[in-house]
Amino acid sequence: MSTKAMPPDYFSNCTHCGFCLAVCPTYKLTGDENNSPRGRLRLWSEEAAGRLPQDEWTDFYTAECVGCLACETACPAAVPYGQIFEHIRHEHVVSHRFKPKLALRLAAVAVKRPVLFNLALLPARLLRRVGLSMHRFLFPGRPAAVKSTAAYAEELMHRHRPTGPRVAFLTGCLMEAMFREINFATVRVLIENNVQVIIPEGQGCCGAFQEHTGLDGVEALREQNRQAFGPLDVDAVVSNSSGCGYALGKTLQPGKPVRDVLGFLGDLGPVRRQRGRDDGTRVYVDLPCHLVHGQKAAGIPANVLDATGYRWELAPKAKDCCGSGGVYNIQKPENARQILADKSAFLNEAEGAPVILGTSNHVCMMQWHSAGATGLVTRPYEVRHIIQLLDPGEKFSIPSTSLQP
Amino acid sequence: MTSPVKDSLEHQLKALLPRGRVLTSAAQLAGYGADGLGYKNHLPDAVVIPADAEELAGFMQGARALGVPVVMRGAGTSLSGGPVAAQGGVIVHTSALKKIREINTEGFWCEVECGVGLNDLDAALKPHGVFYPPDPSSGPVCTLGGNVASNAGGAHCFRYGVTSNYVLGVEAIMLDGSVHRFGGPAGGRGPWREDWKRFMIGSEGTLAAFTRFWLRLLPLPEKVWTFRATYPDMKTTEAAIHALVAHSSYPAAIEMLDPRGVAMVESSQMACGLPEGSFMLLVEIDGPEALVNARVESVAEILRHAGSQDVMFSDEDALRQKLWKARKASGGLLGQLSPSYVVQDAVIPKRALAEVLQLVYDEADAANIRAVNVFHAGDGNLHPNFLFDSRVPGELEKVEFISKRLMQRVIDVGGTLSGEHGIGNDKSAYMPLVFGPDSMRLQLAVPATFNPAHQMNPLKVFDNRHFIA
Repeated sequence: MSTKAMPPDYFSNCTHCGFCLAVCPTYKLTGDENNSPRGRLRLWSEEAAGRLPQDEWTDFYTAECVGCLACETACPAAVPYGQIFEHIRHEHVVSHRFKPKLALRLAAVAVKRPVLFNLALLPARLLRRVGLSMHRFLFPGRPAAVKSTAAYAEELMHRHRPTGPRVAFLTGCLMEAMFREINFATVRVLIENNVQVIIPEGQGCCGAFQEHTGLDGVEALREQNRQAFGPLDVDAVVSNSSGCGYALGKTLQPGKPVRDVLGFLGDLGPVRRQRGRDDGTRVYVDLPCHLVHGQKAAGIPANVLDATGYRWELAPKAKDCCGSGGVYNIQKPENARQILADKSAFLNEAEGAPVILGTSNHVCMMQWHSAGATGLVTRPYEVRHIIQLLDPGEKFSIPSTSLQP
Repeated sequence: MTSPVKDSLEHQLKALLPRGRVLTSAAQLAGYGADGLGYKNHLPDAVVIPADAEELAGFMQGARALGVPVVMRGAGTSLSGGPVAAQGGVIVHTSALKKIREINTEGFWCEVECGVGLNDLDAALKPHGVFYPPDPSSGPVCTLGGNVASNAGGAHCFRYGVTSNYVLGVEAIMLDGSVHRFGGPAGGRGPWREDWKRFMIGSEGTLAAFTRFWLRLLPLPEKVWTFRATYPDMKTTEAAIHALVAHSSYPAAIEMLDPRGVAMVESSQMACGLPEGSFMLLVEIDGPEALVNARVESVAEILRHAGSQDVMFSDEDALRQKLWKARKASGGLLGQLSPSYVVQDAVIPKRALAEVLQLVYDEADAANIRAVNVFHAGDGNLHPNFLFDSRVPGELEKVEFISKRLMQRVIDVGGTLSGEHGIGNDKSAYMPLVFGPDSMRLQLAVPATFNPAHQMNPLKVFDNRHFIA
């Protein structure tokens, strides 16, 4: 499908009001209107209308977009920017106007084969487990090397026998292969809150990776997930990564509700953790773009953040992109670093000991970790998934109050 | 696509802007073809983005020798074709000049560069307990440079007044490279015998490039109450407007949405529960807490007395913001209804409101064009939006025809052109309707003095202001 084959009304909602400029990370970075949603839409629509020949600058400005979708939130005209952008990026890859980096092309193949992907990243999991991961993106954690989240969930379901709502859990590719400890924590928190957790075997990558890179194969993955999740009798499909949840939502909704796990817990009113009265920890909460601009959630529910037991506040500019943008920090590392530099500067002065940066997307967590690893933030801080702050640990039981019907 | 002339222009620009950006490729110019009037396209020959104020000054030193038009541009949210290259030439995008240089809370002024965003300034001022009152709806993105160039207004200008009431000083660079300060932190005339900064405010880029401003600030109001009332017809709405204007509570803002505007809001993500088919008034009062609280009931009573059975009011920020967001995003919301729109900007005596609105409906209905009215009712500043599809032959012509009939009526009832959007090249055709030949001659003499060859933003404000190299 070429741009010319797109329906002419695709671009027509844009009245050129410019509200998107103020929220666009690349416009803020460069001050170049072509590097904004309004500018990009203009380049694409002029090309589609035959008034602008193919131009390497159009390719450049297209590739510059982080895909954070802050513009969709800002847009009064409801321009489906994300959908248009995804389409154009794919078309640019297919027609060789844009070539994702080799590492990303390899990874895109790997995520389609979860068994291989998990096996390939076994050494990385082991290194993280023993605290030897040195890469700037690899935040510390202790993932299980061999046991899968599915096996773990089955074990806990058997042990605790929750009786509440039933959810199917998307375990993800990178989350399962690299950051499995977050999946384990998610299972524990759900079950402690009396939620029945099912992990369908046939599930595949949500397709976000392909969407971010513009590479082929999204539709096959979507079909796989339709088959894996579609027939299940569950109250919701939950994800602990806002990016994956957003992509899976596009696949399964409106037939099946797809929820971010924290939003789902917010509706239940989660079990509260107790911390010491004199605990000086301060949690700064950053909101992933694909949660607030993609899934259009208002944020992470306050009752969930309260339930962590910590003093928390929203990070400054919490709804602005941190620069991770799916794979943007690999594809455009310099831009990503500049965006992060602006976002993370507050941490250097932030109150609290220790300081935790909490969010709900592993890709954002990697980006936030790199702020310390590359010297943008010089004081110590930890990066944690909010679900980890709710984690009861290995020894827990379902509170009797939750078990009542 | 290269030509020797263009290559030479690019070469010269790069020499003038060693640190900033110079854009000359077709795809780099395409993004700068339009302002907030998306359907009109005027491609520049080049765009430059100076890295800072010093580089802008350097550029202006050499700009006359370029021999092409020079067009200043902030965020490009103008609704009248102001910051577009109507006669080609170079667009100077001031997006990098966004320093807030000083906030002086003792003297109640601030010093800002021209590219500072309006709401960014608001956010920076708030912790100091002060604010800058003009509030055009494009606030989240528009720049102070554009605000000063078009003498922007906004909803709260009913009581607070427009941009010109708050500009204490303007630093401007002429095309001969000379830098002038009109006024300054203390306001007034500065080193000039007369108050020449008034020439600069609202000059729409036809005189000089602005680099920075000194702006007057006010203390933040202690308390704000926002009211919304709905009415069954224009007659009762108008009665409410007249009563509000005459009342000593002196609202800060009196805004109106007609039933088509209400329907547009209610069918969008901005919906706030307005009854179908109603006219809505959005009214705000602010000031010292005890004083404003004491006035709440009397304002509500005025709204009810005029014929509203549906008056609501709140001092809660979240609720108030929701109403204001719906009002201020209405320009963009139109995109959900129609591919293109033109917004008119006329000021009329308030007694003629119902009459002129009826003309808008009648003319638009007769031409089968949809019209939506969302405007500053307290000021009599009309903004009829005519919706059309620029890709359908004849539609734009119909809109232009209706607009002209509307402007004629506006003048007949004693009104005038442009409350706050400026003239640009979208409203310049109406200038001779409003101003006689002598008045036109004198007004044209102003740009001719500051900018004799009309190299700055030609074909704007006056249709016949050509740049002749």
